[in-house]
Amino acid sequence: MGGDNHEHADSTTASVRATYDRIADHFATTREHPWPEVVQFVEREASRRGGSLGRAIDIGCANGRHTELLADHGADPVGIDVSRALLRAGQRRAADREFCASWVCGDAARLPIAENTASIAIYVATLHHLRPRSARIGSLDELARVLTPGGRALVSAWSIEHDRFDATAAFDTTVEWTLPGGETVPRFYHIYSPAEFREDLAQSALDAIDVEISSGNCYATVAVGDASPGEM
Amino acid sequence: MKESLMDVICCPIDKSDLELTVDERDDEEIIAGTLTCTECGETYPIEDGIPNLLPPDMRDEATA
Repeated sequence: MGGDNHEHADSTTASVRATYDRIADHFATTREHPWPEVVQFVEREASRRGGSLGRAIDIGCANGRHTELLADHGADPVGIDVSRALLRAGQRRAADREFCASWVCGDAARLPIAENTASIAIYVATLHHLRPRSARIGSLDELARVLTPGGRALVSAWSIEHDRFDATAAFDTTVEWTLPGGETVPRFYHIYSPAEFREDLAQSALDAIDVEISSGNCYATVAVGDASPGEM
Repeated sequence: MKESLMDVICCPIDKSDLELTVDERDDEEIIAGTLTCTECGETYPIEDGIPNLLPPDMRDEATA
């Protein structure tokens, strides 16, 4: 790794954006329902705080399925995505289903969100699109920056534990998205090993409260400045 | 975007406050306008109600 890591990260994220702008409409139709792990996290947080979730951010919100989940649980959510086309899909979803949310076009590694803003955050299925590793850890630091003390976030990334992978260590790959006409669009993925996922969290400013593997993904419930994470 | 979002968003580069200029408004919703960083002076467009707060090096390649 040389000194041009940052430049590399920029061009890669730009290509992720171009990819999702291109596949947005089809992608949105296949991403209808919230993930059960995310539902569980939001429900647990709502009950932990007596129903008042406050300001929420959904990083890599795509068409807003989890932004909607946050709104449905009384949060005031902001959906953030690198793809403008996906954010438009989120806007349409909010209009159709009558939930309130704000939408912001932004980069997960350089969040346009003020510090100590979000009392709850969701950062699922997005971290694995960033490279190199310094950009992934940097995005976790960004999440720590915007999270309020006592706030909680759920982070997920694709894992080698998924059935489709045989690898025993983390690796970079390209996974193709097939459009309805049969055309394929490549997407960069870093497939995490559970050990490396824990290691990246440990290197970031986040405190991992709970880490688990579910449905082939690594999940972490995280916080900032939790003196005793075990007490949850 | 609603004006209350100004409390949440910041410049993606230096994290400073932004200043809002509204070009088009529909009731409470700001449809078009510009956000200017009070520190570095970088400007970010609001289009179709969505602020584009991508860092300039990513925004310039936008084709959508």
